[in-house]
Formats: sequence, C-alpha cells, structure tokens
Amino acid sequence: VLGLEIDAINSVQFSNHTGYKKWKGQILNSDELGDLYEGLKMNQIHNYTHLLTGYIGSKSFLLKVKDLIEELRLNNPKLTYVCDPVMGDCGKMYLPKELLEVYKKDIIPLADIVTPNQFEAELLTDMKITDIESAKQAMLKLHSMGPKTVVISSSELGSETDLVGCGSTIANGSPTMMQVNIPRLDAQFTGSGDLFTALLLAWLHKHSDDFKLACEKAVSTMQHVLRRTLEHSKQVVLHPDTPPAARMELRLIQSVKDIQNPQLCVKVQTLR
Amino acid sequence: MLSLSVLISHNHVHLQVLGLEIDAINSVQFSNHTEYGKWKGQILSPEELGDLYEGLKMNQIHNYTHLLTGYIGSKSFLLKVKDIIEEQRLNDPKLTYVCDPVMGDCGKMYLPQELLEVYKNDIIPLADIVTPNQFEAELLTDMKITDIESAKQAMMKLHSMGPKTVIISSLEFGSELDLFGCGSTITNGSPTMMQVHIPRLDAQFTGSGDLFTALLLAWLHKHSDDFQLACGKAVSTMQHVLRRTLAHSKQAVLHPDTPSAGRMELRLIQSASDIKDPQLCVDVQTLD
Repeated sequence: VLGLEIDAINSVQFSNHTGYKKWKGQILNSDELGDLYEGLKMNQIHNYTHLLTGYIGSKSFLLKVKDLIEELRLNNPKLTYVCDPVMGDCGKMYLPKELLEVYKKDIIPLADIVTPNQFEAELLTDMKITDIESAKQAMLKLHSMGPKTVVISSSELGSETDLVGCGSTIANGSPTMMQVNIPRLDAQFTGSGDLFTALLLAWLHKHSDDFKLACEKAVSTMQHVLRRTLEHSKQVVLHPDTPPAARMELRLIQSVKDIQNPQLCVKVQTLR
Repeated sequence: MLSLSVLISHNHVHLQVLGLEIDAINSVQFSNHTEYGKWKGQILSPEELGDLYEGLKMNQIHNYTHLLTGYIGSKSFLLKVKDIIEEQRLNDPKLTYVCDPVMGDCGKMYLPQELLEVYKNDIIPLADIVTPNQFEAELLTDMKITDIESAKQAMMKLHSMGPKTVIISSLEFGSELDLFGCGSTITNGSPTMMQVHIPRLDAQFTGSGDLFTALLLAWLHKHSDDFQLACGKAVSTMQHVLRRTLAHSKQAVLHPDTPSAGRMELRLIQSASDIKDPQLCVDVQTLD
C-alpha cells in the first residue's frame, strides 16, 4: 500500500494469532528457512535493499536468521536492517529467555534500526527506564551496541492519559533525540508492534532526512488504525464462541488511506 | 474471503487494495515461482490444511462470504479442499465459491491428470463462478473449442455442471493480434453471453491467471448487476498490469544468473491505481 516491494517469508502459518488462546497451524523450522533462502540465492534474487525481522519464536531460528543477515550484508553492504527484538512486554517475557543473549550479542550489532518496547529496551541494556533521563541513557547504550537509529515504541513514563515514545538517530556523529506523547487507548491490541515497525521502516526510508516527520507519520498512523479498531470493536457482532481477541483485530484494510497518507495527530519534540 | 492458493509473495495484495478482507491459506511457500526452473520451499499437506481449518472453526472465525481456490498441486489436497467447500457451504448456503480449475495451458497439463476427474465430479458442481482457460474448459467439457459457436456450447455445458457464471479466460481462435475471452452468466433462468477481444502481448507471464480470477471475484462482487462492466474492468486491469510488466522487462537490469522469468514478474505494486480504478480499454460485447 505504501509502494514497497516485499518478499515475505512467513515463519508461521496459523489459523489466527495466539491471543485467541486456541490456534492451529505450522511453524517454519530453521532448515526450511535456509531452504527458502537457498532458493532465492540460486536464482540471484536475494538482492534486497532492506531486511525486516520481527517475531521469532526459537533460538535456532534466530541463529539461522543471523546467518542470513550476515550473508545479505556481505552481498550488499548498504543493506538497511530493521530489527524488532520481540521478546516480551509489560515486564514479562513471552518468548524463551535464551533469545535475549542472541539478540544482545549477535543480532542487535547487525541492525541499523531497532524498535524495542520499554521492556525489551531494559532487557537489552540491563537498565531500568524510570524517567526521560534513563530513557536517553538506554538509547545511547543501544547506539553503542550498533544501531544508528533507535526507537523505543512505548514506555510507561507518561501520564494516565498518555504513553511516551522516544527515538534517537545518529546524524553527523552525534545523536538527535526525540520524544512523543501517545494518547492511551483503553484496549489490548495484538500485532500493533509489527505494524509500527513496518510503518517506521517505510517512513524512515521515504523521509530519510527527516527523522521527526517519519516518526510523526508512523505514530499518527498507529493512532488512526487503533482508534478505528477500537470504534469497530464496540459494535461488531461476533459468534458467542469467538474469543474477544477477534473483536480487536486491527482494521487494516479499512485504514488504507491513513496508512498511505496519515494526517499528523501527534507532536514529536526534540529532546536536549 | 478465504483464499486457498499458492503464495508467491504479494498474491492477495491486489484484493486488499480493492478493499476486500482476505484470509489466505498458502498451499505452498516457495522462494520463487516454478517457471524460474529452480526453486526451493515447502508444500502444505492435506492434514496441515485440515489443521488450519480446524483452528478457524475452533474460534468460530470461519464465516466467510467468499471462497477462492486456485493452483492446487495434488489430488489428496484437492479432495481436502472439497471437504472444506462442502462444510463452508453447509455453514453458509449463500457462500460464493470462485473456482479457478488450474490444470494446464496451451494444450498441456502441468498438473497430475488425476485432478481432472476430481474437478469434474466433485469441485465444479460446487462452484458458483468458474474461470478455466481454453484448455481447461476443453478438458472439463470433453469438447474442442474452435470458434465462437463451440465456445458457447462449452459454456452451456459448464453451466449444466453447476456454476451460474462461467468465464473462459483466453481463447486461441482470435486473430494474430487478439485473443478472445468469453463469459456467460445465468440471470432469470437464462444465460447472457459475452465476448471480448484481448490484444495479444508478446511475452509469457506467470501468475496472470491467478490475478485475473481474483480481479473477477472482486469486480463481479462490486458490480453484481453488471456482468459486462465487471468483465470489462477485470480484462482492462490485466492489460494495464501486463503492459506495464512488459515495458519494465525491457529495461530491468537483472543479475546474469537470474532466469529470464525474473524479468517478467508482474508489476503489481506499481499497478495499484490500475487495480483500484482501471481505465476501460477493452470492449465487452453481448453475444446473441
């Protein structure tokens, strides 16, 4: 919808997301991932400008992904690798603990852009984020691990009405840091982190000289999509046996215009 | 809509662009399509397909208005698909099932022969809309199509097998410049038949049949009272996408080891405007 050509390797094929509590389907293993990559290389069609990784469920798969990143970067040193280090949220890991060391040592150092939430940022940096100062420290620490651009997608540093997001990008050798107030919505969404990382990739690419605008567009789009989803959830009629998670499925198809050309509804402020 | 077909990356993007909500079950995950000569990947088994369907049912989220099937590579998988169609129809008698009976093209079957009997006996009778090419229409009807009269007969025979709407996507008895397409839909008990000249393009495309069936599904749904317009839009969109693809292929720079198939990948992302709102560039005429 944003005009980017994507080849997607699906690491799982499930009937529905795991927030429904019950699901069925198949998980790709690291050998199968390797096969798909071999197929791309065989045909010399593995020449990507960008790479995006998100939810990865096992250490073996993550290690295979690491091999792929290294190869792709050898193939194209100008590759932009966007890493969403999915591990947990709200103080709890929902993926195996062993992923943390792999992200810290092997994956983050290869990333150009990293988009942890507060909990993931704390895990990766061994720091607690309690205020904007410690958030800035955490972002500096993440920079030192490799990525030139860091976005902490949501933190509890805000108020009753707002979350706080913050970001930092290194331009001309020094970091430019920003923060944004994100109005809280009274609901739980699944998949919104994936959407956010993808939007960031697109807008950071389209506005490569304007970090502020890219972040504003990504965060604004999220607001439009989530509000539309929340509105819809109040009136949608579901089968009695359908879990409440279905009520909150992101209204993406209905949000195409907002994705393509989001009206800005948040203000990103530069931090000193 | 539930779409059961081959995933080669952005197969369902165009339908989403048209505002349709799609759940896609990918019957294969390959690095690239098979016309490249070499590929790697995984094929979904009938049991795995059954699992996914169980998951949908468990959560009561299998209430689709439309079902689309395309490339299905084995008899066992096709028989499982048949079970799903029958259950879906039990669940919602008003389900619209669009069947692209992919078996071959240009006189050759590229899928196992045994699929033919399953399509004839089990699948086509369940379909509301069927979109064979000429070769597939001939296989399904046991008829040879040599001119517009025999095309009309073939469409009548397909109607008698079940589907109220039949579209034969490309016919060779046109001219040097044009293919023919024809279609028929039953309204008020009798068939309304149409034909269209489709300018030939000097290239081989892979995946264009999948795109065409998806576009037809979308436009027949949006213009449920105007079969002529729906067909005109679907065929026009194909012209725009294929021409753009052909033009791009002439200047695309590929790695020397990339097969020529890489040159002809459909320019879908670049054709979003044409997909959403195609300028009509073909003339669909009613047949008497």
